[in-house]
Amino acid sequence: MEGQDQTRGDEAQQEKQKQEAEDENVLQFLDSADTFLTLMDSLSSTLRQGWLELASARHSMGASRISSALFDLKLHSAATSLQVTQHDVGSMVKRPHFTLHKWSFPDDETCCSEEAKFNEDKLQKNANSPQLRHRGTSQFSELLEKSPTSDGSSLKIDNQIQKERSKSLSMFGTLVSPKLRAAQLSFETALETLIVIANMRSSMISAFDQIQKEMEDIKQ
Amino acid sequence: MAGRAQIPSKNSALIAMIADEDTVTGFLLAGVGNVDLRRKTNYLVVDSKTTVKAIEDAFKEFTAKEDIAIVLISQYVANMIRFLVDSYNKPVPAILEIPSKDHPYDPAHDSVLSRVKYLFSAESVASGRR
Repeated sequence: MEGQDQTRGDEAQQEKQKQEAEDENVLQFLDSADTFLTLMDSLSSTLRQGWLELASARHSMGASRISSALFDLKLHSAATSLQVTQHDVGSMVKRPHFTLHKWSFPDDETCCSEEAKFNEDKLQKNANSPQLRHRGTSQFSELLEKSPTSDGSSLKIDNQIQKERSKSLSMFGTLVSPKLRAAQLSFETALETLIVIANMRSSMISAFDQIQKEMEDIKQ
Repeated sequence: MAGRAQIPSKNSALIAMIADEDTVTGFLLAGVGNVDLRRKTNYLVVDSKTTVKAIEDAFKEFTAKEDIAIVLISQYVANMIRFLVDSYNKPVPAILEIPSKDHPYDPAHDSVLSRVKYLFSAESVASGRR
């Protein structure tokens, strides 16, 4: 008798855990989808700003000075790249996680992973409360200045980033319009947003696949 | 898409782009441009003269390359090769549809959102955001 009660209790407990896991998947899906759409709105605004700044730069420098004919076609590696890692969701499901590495930033794991996570959290929070950007810096640089590193190393890193930015701008000549620099910062911000969007997309797809699997199990 | 297959870790993976000139220019300024030994770039500039075949070839090439982790594609360009984009189902590279100057982002056409929208009302995806 007691054995039967215990078995029923265990089954009820397992059922409850299964229900909680299903609810968690649904919540993850809805949360990811909502953040994805909000970030796409934010991306649209940032890109619009970037295109406007690019048009202003083209107006002041001349259309022939900013065109695809001037793109650097010599052998070179991307200064801004991605790190892709596997993120395990539970024991079975795996999904990719993307981390942005900007401007040949030193591949210091502690530095980059903490700042990338901090950056991602901040962008997700900003998805609901857009803020004005300070002129002359992208959101990434602002976070860098606020991150817990010594003043000396922050300055060194900032100088390196400015050098990489100048190298990228040099594609369009030595003297470029401030609007072109502003456009560069806007597109850097857009890039940061895109990486968060990519991770949200990955989370959304993962949760959706889990929910679909649960629905199929129920049908069977 | 997210499943049991192992996702190989990559460092220094690239971001590919299939978009209009201004969008590509902007992202090149942000440092994502890459030119390899064979003088192949990680982007395709789409203009009025670009053929659908060229876009399809670029999409297939970028999604087959192991060193590309994300492919950015303007949504209006993705609409030209919608069948190809919708039938793509690998986790990496991730395909992100982005707005362009003349074509704002439409969630109803997004490849991933259109696949998941049946979980909630189709109307809420497209109209709730306007």
